[in-house]
Amino acid sequence: MSERANLDTGASWTHPLYATLEKLPGVSLGLASVDDLLAWGLTNSLWVFPMATSCCGIELMAAAASRIDLDRMGTIVRGTPRQCDVMVVAGTITVKMAPRVLKLWEQMPEPKWCIAMGSCAISGDFYRNLYSVIPGIDTVIPVDVYIPGCPPNPEALMHGLLRLQEKVHARRRGEKVDRDPNPDLIRVTQPAIPRVCERDLGRNDELSKLQADQAGRVTEEQMCPAVDVPFEPPPPATPVFAPDFEGLLRELGVAVAADGPPLVPVERHFEFARRLKELGYRQLVSIVATHWLAGTGRAGKEEGASEHLEVAYVLRTVGPGSRLATWAVRVAPDQPIPSLVPLYAGADWQEREQFDLVGARFAGHPDLRRLMMAENYPGHPLRRDFPIDAHCAPWR
Amino acid sequence: MLQTLSVERRVDPHLSIDKYDPEAELLLLHMGPQHPATHGVFRMDLYLDGEIVVKAVPYVGYLHRAVEKLCEKLTYSQITPIVDKNDYVAPMTNEQAVNMAFEKLLAIEVPRRARWIRMIFAELQRIASHLLWLGTFTMDLGGALGGGTTVFMHSFREREMIMDLFEEVSGCRFHYNTHTIGGNRHDLPAGWAGRVKEALAVIEARISEYEGMSLENRIFVKRTKGVGVIEPGLALELGLTGPMLRACGIDHDLRRDAPFHAYDEVAPRVIVAEGGDCLARARVRLGELKESVRFVRETIDSIPEGSINGGRPIKLPNSIKIPPGQTYVGIETPRGELGTYLIADGSANPYRLKIRPPSLHALSALPYVLPGGTVSDALAILGSVDPIMGEADR
Amino acid sequence: MNVVLTAVVTCVAILTGILTATAWLIWFERKFSGRMQSRLGPTMVGPSGLAQPVADLVKLLQKEDVVPEAADRALFDLAPKLAALCALGAAAVVPFSATVVGAKIDLGVLFLLAIGAVTVMPVFMAGWASNNKFALLGGMRALAQSISYEVPLVLSAMVPVILAGSMDVSKIVEAQTRDGWYLIDPVWLGLPAFGLFLLAMLAESNRIPFDIPEAESELVAGVTTEYGGMKFALFYLGEYVHTLVASAVASALFLGGWDGPFAPGLHWMVAKTVGLFVFVYWMRWSLLRFRSDQLMRICWYWLVPLAVALLLGAGAWVVL
Repeated sequence: MSERANLDTGASWTHPLYATLEKLPGVSLGLASVDDLLAWGLTNSLWVFPMATSCCGIELMAAAASRIDLDRMGTIVRGTPRQCDVMVVAGTITVKMAPRVLKLWEQMPEPKWCIAMGSCAISGDFYRNLYSVIPGIDTVIPVDVYIPGCPPNPEALMHGLLRLQEKVHARRRGEKVDRDPNPDLIRVTQPAIPRVCERDLGRNDELSKLQADQAGRVTEEQMCPAVDVPFEPPPPATPVFAPDFEGLLRELGVAVAADGPPLVPVERHFEFARRLKELGYRQLVSIVATHWLAGTGRAGKEEGASEHLEVAYVLRTVGPGSRLATWAVRVAPDQPIPSLVPLYAGADWQEREQFDLVGARFAGHPDLRRLMMAENYPGHPLRRDFPIDAHCAPWR
Repeated sequence: MLQTLSVERRVDPHLSIDKYDPEAELLLLHMGPQHPATHGVFRMDLYLDGEIVVKAVPYVGYLHRAVEKLCEKLTYSQITPIVDKNDYVAPMTNEQAVNMAFEKLLAIEVPRRARWIRMIFAELQRIASHLLWLGTFTMDLGGALGGGTTVFMHSFREREMIMDLFEEVSGCRFHYNTHTIGGNRHDLPAGWAGRVKEALAVIEARISEYEGMSLENRIFVKRTKGVGVIEPGLALELGLTGPMLRACGIDHDLRRDAPFHAYDEVAPRVIVAEGGDCLARARVRLGELKESVRFVRETIDSIPEGSINGGRPIKLPNSIKIPPGQTYVGIETPRGELGTYLIADGSANPYRLKIRPPSLHALSALPYVLPGGTVSDALAILGSVDPIMGEADR
Repeated sequence: MNVVLTAVVTCVAILTGILTATAWLIWFERKFSGRMQSRLGPTMVGPSGLAQPVADLVKLLQKEDVVPEAADRALFDLAPKLAALCALGAAAVVPFSATVVGAKIDLGVLFLLAIGAVTVMPVFMAGWASNNKFALLGGMRALAQSISYEVPLVLSAMVPVILAGSMDVSKIVEAQTRDGWYLIDPVWLGLPAFGLFLLAMLAESNRIPFDIPEAESELVAGVTTEYGGMKFALFYLGEYVHTLVASAVASALFLGGWDGPFAPGLHWMVAKTVGLFVFVYWMRWSLLRFRSDQLMRICWYWLVPLAVALLLGAGAWVVL
């Protein structure tokens, strides 16, 4: 399991002035009540730094809004970490975001606390084993209170804050307060969703079996039993195209396929797109690159097929009776495809994304950088041979 | 005064910063990924000349949760609750988009009642989403400690009513997991339609209040009019959809133009505004809010009786295998066209599932429209884009 | 001896009064904004959340004192103290009643305007010293805004000075007691001048719709981005005291100060000040924010010409 951060927050830190005060003779008698006063002040004015990244952030907003109203207990949300006491990590923290969270945490003045709100912040949840998500914020910064839920209700957040108040009080009284256990670690089993097939895990059989039994992970056969398919397999789809698109296909001699969009030769791809734009397909909807390993292809198994990329393009006309045009280009993994940026400015980010995630090369793109992953990320995660949990290594 | 740049000639977002005037002494301001007004974890690097933005470089990917990779490992019925988290302001639209793609490849006919319920849900999600947008947008304009917060609190108060209605249906405030392949998981509870109408009557009565605090507010108009103008040609090329496109005067709405759910039977009016600026986008969204409220109130009584789930129960949802094929399904969500490109290879998991996020396309307009405005304009424009980073980054 | 004692007691009383009032006015604002937003505001700390400002203060006292590594340390430390000091210093010449006044000086109005202008210094100082781009932008904005709005502020404050023929605030109030409040007599002069003064005052004390130096949604927390703990508290205090004192000045210059029937003068002054203060916060929680260039335009295109016209009008009124 991961190495959890061992720091304890808010417990050992006292203001230097207070420390000097404590040494004066006779003062200690009065300090008991002063202690109470200080703890009362600390707990009743917890200003929140919203480290809100995703869904839980919306519930954090809802908690501050009129129905729950965190201001009732003196909790307000401030935008700068310097003025905050509690960092509420609400949402999934990605590998790209984690260093920023750490930096913001370090910018908060002591005494400070951290609340992990929601299962993504607690453990990564669904995204736990994925290449871009860290398994819980407590692998980066110490957490005082965990609020489980996906997302937790605003009431739960308030409960979490009250729990934090309790802990702060107890610490001030000198009681020993254990860190709250990560709810995800107490659980015997992982979340029951069988997410990872055994073939993805290069572990020895016994361990895998044990884990599969304990963790709800099942083998591919168990997961996808080949019996009792409730639906009749549908008849092979006959592709329906808009008349003008079909006309263009006929004119250029592009064959229509039943199992996917028509394949346009890569040399004529740009010309094809230009003709479509002239036909009124002015909106670039989507670019989808897919990686096919050797021996696989559109129909699943394809004997003799070499490793290749298939890049599908979706265009649309606007206005009533909107028509779609879809076509695909099939290239070797390193072969460049003419970029559509000169035709459609929107292809810019789309092509960058497909380059980043699938590794498709686009010739003529003005600025082919990664879009989602960090600049120096190795590999292209949506390739089929890319392990799903490849980049969690520092946090495992 | 400051806004003349982007309309006349298009800004080249790829022009390197070295090519700019070296005498200008530009200030590089990193806005985000953690900033009160970046709607989650969005980052833009603004090159400033005084207060005026000269060049803007947006960065996304701080919430890249690898959903597409995860979906390749999941069975078809497990995907629904995962994609819920993409557009977390209108989660149901995500479920609808993927399930419709599965249904299309499986050639499953969705019962009429289920389609109607999906339509009502989608419209209610639109109301909730636009209410949230209104609150966050005015907060961008008016500060976290000011009039913007007042609008935010009021719009959240109404949003809670919608959340309650959904909680009653599915048991969750969001991330409902209520759509399945071939229909819906949850039928409507008894008396739900009446409670929807009650809630919407309250919201309808209060919409004029919001308009008074936004569109009729002179400061609001001053801050938004002529700010962040996107010309229609650029909007089309960039693949902008939804309110962003309709604010440029382009009459395009998939609910009418490529009907799904039950929009072929009844369709709401399409709200279009001219100008392409932040004010036009606000007009479109507030108009849609009004129209959706009216639409749901009028149509909720006409939900037909019948089955909600394909006529026969799905016994082993995990065992659904989709025959090889590829399809694209696009639906109109509060933010625009949310598409699903599905590639099935005959196994129980999708071979590739590409989600087409409207927010990402909308954000790609920023380098074109930000230059020429001030820092304040930059945030007004970002707020008017209404990005949801969970969806843009996936 | 007796004079010194009285002066000290008065000063301490005014200081304590203002600080306590500020604390409870912060509480009041939180409740007030809560009601405006259909929520409750603080309820849990003390009865009706009355102890909330105390808790905040106790908390802020305990916070670690962070100074950014790259900051200009001396200026960074000085700025918040100066901010609070300037705001409190202005209170010295405000007559809260015929007798309760910190310092009766003949050029009271001039002193007020001067010290009001100085308040921008710590703000810019903080923006510069923090070595933070957001803070720097905030400081820049504050400077530009303050210089612009100083002009209509001074000019509109000159209207009652001309009408009363004195720069002593107490004398101006006495003149109003004799001739009637300048807000209503002469109304065509007093009302616009009061409005101008109020607007310029909002801009001076960085309140919405003119709070662009702070602009939470744009500049995180503006000049206070790098400030935490007590230093932030001093800034916060300075802001509120500034608004409070400015309200007091406005009520002294235009609303007849302590003048009023039935109740003692002090009560009237306090009531008028708090009334104006609440009005400022009402504005704050209902309006959005202008952009900085719009703000400048409003000032130079509308407010300054209007202020000049009013000044000439006041002169004509007195002469004729």
